[in-house]
Amino acid sequence: MARLSIICIGLILFVTVWSSSLNIEGSSKRVLVLLDNLAIRETHSFYFKQLRDREFDLTYKSSDDSNLQLVKYGEYIYDHIILFAPGTKEFGGRLDAEILTQFVDAGGNVLVAGSHIIGDAIREFAGECGIEFADDKNAVIDHLNYDVNDNGQHTLIIASPDNLLASELITGEAKKVGLPFLFRGIGMSSDSENSLLLDVLTGSSSSYTANPDEKTLTEYPTTVGKRTLLVSVLQARNNARVGFVGSLDFFSNDFFQSPIQSNDGKKSAKSGNEELAIALTDWVFKQRGVLRARNIRHYLKQDKTTPSFYTIKNDLVFNVQFDEFVHGKWMPFNGTDVQLEFVRIDPFVRTTMKNNGGQLEAQFRVPDTYGIYKFIIDYNRIGYTHLFSATQVSVHPLRHTEYERFITSAYPYYISSFSMMVGAFLLSFIVLYHRDEMPKTKVE
Amino acid sequence: MDALTSILPFKQYLPHKLSYDKQETFLKLFILTFAGILAFATRLFSVLRYESVIHEFDPYFNYRTTKFLTDEGFYSFHNWFDDRAWYPLGRIIGGTIYPGLMVTSAAIYHTLRWFHITIDIRNVCVFLAPLFSSFTVIVTYLLTKELKNASAGLVAACLISIVPGYISRSVAGSYDNEGIAIFCMLLTYYLWIKAIKTGSIMWSASCALAYFYMVSSWGGYVFLINLMPLHVLALMVTGHFSHRVYVAYSTVYILGTILSMQIPFVGFQPVQSSEHMLAFGTFGLCQIYSFVEYVKSKLTEAQFNALFSFALMTVGFGLGIAGLVLWASGKIAPWTGRFYALLDPSYAKNHIPIIASVSEHQPTAWSSFFFDFELLVFMFPVGIYYCFKELTDANIFIIMYGMTAIYFAGVMVRLMLVLAPVMCILSGIGISSILTTYMRNLDVNQLKKTTSSTASSQSSSRSRRGDDSSTYPRKNEIAFGVVCLMSFFLITYVFHCTWVTSEAYSSPSIVLSARTGTGSKYIFDDFREAYWWLRYNTDEDAKVMSWWDYGYQITAMANRTILVDNNTWNNTHISRVGQAMSSTEDKAYEIMRELDVDYVLVIFGGLIGYSSDDINKFLWMVRIGGSTEKGAHIKEKDYFTPQGEFRVDKDGSPILLNCLMYKLSYYRFGETYTEQDKPPGYDRTRSVEIGNKNFELEKLEEAYTTEHWLVRIYKVKKEENRGQS
Repeated sequence: MARLSIICIGLILFVTVWSSSLNIEGSSKRVLVLLDNLAIRETHSFYFKQLRDREFDLTYKSSDDSNLQLVKYGEYIYDHIILFAPGTKEFGGRLDAEILTQFVDAGGNVLVAGSHIIGDAIREFAGECGIEFADDKNAVIDHLNYDVNDNGQHTLIIASPDNLLASELITGEAKKVGLPFLFRGIGMSSDSENSLLLDVLTGSSSSYTANPDEKTLTEYPTTVGKRTLLVSVLQARNNARVGFVGSLDFFSNDFFQSPIQSNDGKKSAKSGNEELAIALTDWVFKQRGVLRARNIRHYLKQDKTTPSFYTIKNDLVFNVQFDEFVHGKWMPFNGTDVQLEFVRIDPFVRTTMKNNGGQLEAQFRVPDTYGIYKFIIDYNRIGYTHLFSATQVSVHPLRHTEYERFITSAYPYYISSFSMMVGAFLLSFIVLYHRDEMPKTKVE
Repeated sequence: MDALTSILPFKQYLPHKLSYDKQETFLKLFILTFAGILAFATRLFSVLRYESVIHEFDPYFNYRTTKFLTDEGFYSFHNWFDDRAWYPLGRIIGGTIYPGLMVTSAAIYHTLRWFHITIDIRNVCVFLAPLFSSFTVIVTYLLTKELKNASAGLVAACLISIVPGYISRSVAGSYDNEGIAIFCMLLTYYLWIKAIKTGSIMWSASCALAYFYMVSSWGGYVFLINLMPLHVLALMVTGHFSHRVYVAYSTVYILGTILSMQIPFVGFQPVQSSEHMLAFGTFGLCQIYSFVEYVKSKLTEAQFNALFSFALMTVGFGLGIAGLVLWASGKIAPWTGRFYALLDPSYAKNHIPIIASVSEHQPTAWSSFFFDFELLVFMFPVGIYYCFKELTDANIFIIMYGMTAIYFAGVMVRLMLVLAPVMCILSGIGISSILTTYMRNLDVNQLKKTTSSTASSQSSSRSRRGDDSSTYPRKNEIAFGVVCLMSFFLITYVFHCTWVTSEAYSSPSIVLSARTGTGSKYIFDDFREAYWWLRYNTDEDAKVMSWWDYGYQITAMANRTILVDNNTWNNTHISRVGQAMSSTEDKAYEIMRELDVDYVLVIFGGLIGYSSDDINKFLWMVRIGGSTEKGAHIKEKDYFTPQGEFRVDKDGSPILLNCLMYKLSYYRFGETYTEQDKPPGYDRTRSVEIGNKNFELEKLEEAYTTEHWLVRIYKVKKEENRGQS
């Protein structure tokens, strides 16, 4: 018994936030900003100021700084990395694509900005995340949606908010406000088999990625139409987030503030860049859309105790507390679409849990099939961290004392067997002690 | 017996003050005791050579359940739901085993405890089979005595104490149902013969109890419940049917059936399945037969004939209809595969790969009859001859037993075990009869001297026989020759049995051994090494996937959850594992994810030349994997070369060279030198250089490989963190 209960408790696995060495929650805000040159700090000062206002602890380093390191004394010294260094061929110090990948696998978040030139290290890192940047010197070109300030190559394009991912968690108010985005940079394509990637902002159907210096297209463009990714994000299985933005200028003071006038005369006083850039950074750096599950409890409905195993057809209650990280605090989660599954290879029960102020609850009857089951909550919604929780319990058949003692339909059989016994007893009694008179006389 | 006492050389050392009856009893006791001790001692080779360790696969499960029973008590045992096996289905242990073995061990354990003899339950388990072999010796003596006489009984007892066919299943550490089941079987037979001979309800009831013990300990009880009615039928046909038989059979059948239904695993089978129908039918026939006899005695012949033909037709018609209805409604269970395999040896091979895959379910090779029985093979017909010579109720039984057992032993290797006792009994009868016949003729002068000194009844019989034997010349020399030959045979039998026991049947498959170049013994303890590694280095709830052969050992020794084990009750689940093993890594990964597999364990003998490894069993995995709907895409012929060969070198089928089992077995084997003058990656079991050498595993990683690469354990990787496959 003791062993079983230990198993039960031990089985509560969270594959949620804390499977990594980096325990990133909202409170960890150490950011390493890697820049091609420190001038970017000035040209993008609005963006960085916004981050500092959000209490991010920014450390600016030149990307070829020979003292670059992410790990000190076996621990990561940053929680997030902003890579505003598209031109860097090779990082200084102890940093390369592999270390960046390890950083992500350990739970760190990275925001990458590209430009018309992309260094090998970043290219490789992007490749590890399923993103492929177009070749160097290529740029996203859109001959139908460009800003009037364009230099004639139609690379300063206007991205419509219609092509923005409809998720307020990732893009904030940007879609609702409806301001177009200014973009000048490189296009990306994503690995279609990688289900963890999200296309946040794509080019319009008339956009494509090619080398603007070549007058005629000699080969098929790298990306065409809506396949041209401008902004895309990856949420790894350990919930580390990586954001890719094809344009470094996207975050610049100029783009944040410049009014937009498109080639067909539409005007707006301000671009949507600031809104989107900040929202995206918030999301990538886990200030939004982070969920956690705690206090998983399951017990018999009848007496509210948790047995070491359940028996078939028990009524049970499953409880879990869901929290969402909002504005720097853990608040009760109020989604109503969380489902609980009771799985033995296939789900035998699938039910939507009632949300009572973050306390999710489901009640159901254990199926009439014994085996080893798992309570599975697999909450995977765009914008939220993937929350997966599996709790193993075993479901036993009835004990020998738990069956019905008498079955109504069997009464004829009970009666027949007992009457048979009585009959056999009487008959043998008669046979043994009955004395026939006749043979006696015969013998005599 | 008297012949033995008079001729044995140590006769003069017997206490002279005892009367001849007492001397005889003393001698009987002496021989029986020694046969019993011998039976126990000869089974201890493995304990002396290795240690007090449980052998094979099934015994590990029995050991584990026994331990549970002694620790937790009977009711917990009865309701035990095992969540460590057959993940995620689980297994109701209490309802799917024959508990006789465990209960016996637990009873012995608690009895010894009560006397303050503290003994580890493992030792009880290890020595249980030898102990029961000693009991079997005694029961064999009693049974043969009932069939023939005490001297035949003693010979049979001595024969069975060392017969290899029985030793193979009952050496120390072979803690299996068969160990006690043979004892139960012979005990039931003994009591059955007693019941038939006396017609007493007391003996019949004892027989039913013994039968209950048999049912509780081995699935082979089906043999008993068919043999006894067969015996009754034979008695009816031969006109030996009497009230004694009627009382005996009715009592045994009713009590035995009710008792056997108390075993949860048997349940309602005795009244539903066709395997038990013969017993039921014979029971009915007994009643009808007796009733007909009764009616016959009361009526005239003409009346009786009219009544008889009318009744026969109505009853026959009614029975036919009832049978059809029951069969159509599924109340009469279809014949199970194992039983079909008995009647038609090719049935299982063609229909149920899981049954055919077990080596002990294969038909017996002719040579193994000689290997397991030696002399008995020749003496068995002699015994039958002597039984036919005086055809009593009891002798009919032993003849039927002998004939059916020899047929079943030919069908299935495993049933050699059932044949072994009857071989010994009949050979005992044969040898004893031959010896009795010729020893009388041995030395007429000495015989005459003896005759004069013994009681008058004996002397009269002797002198009469002396007259008989004077019918041919040189009877003394011939008798001497026969006795010498017989002694020679018996001596070779002893040597053969001891050699077979020591060489073939006393190696626990959990520990392997080999001779080194210098002749010293070299031990391969890889299995236990691997299981202990699992026990100490993996998560407590880790799920281990392996082929089902190793399931019991993993649960018992490593204490980890496994997917399939030797209790092959769920074909589809085993098939799923077979599919995983015979698919490519990607496909296998999906199956392993579905079944929550954390580790994969394979047995690989290529480095040391261990032949019963997973690659050699692999075709069974393919067959079983392909035998269900989900695995329909797995075809056996894809794993053969176009010429139809199963080979792992570079001519082998590419599907084989890329399946999971191949990769797990040969991972990094291509870099290893195994034998001089051979290229790296030379497989010593199959004597070829493997075909696919340089490959990397993508979805698994090597977790542990034992010293001689016998067991290799792999960890299933988690899904790629960034989704890049």
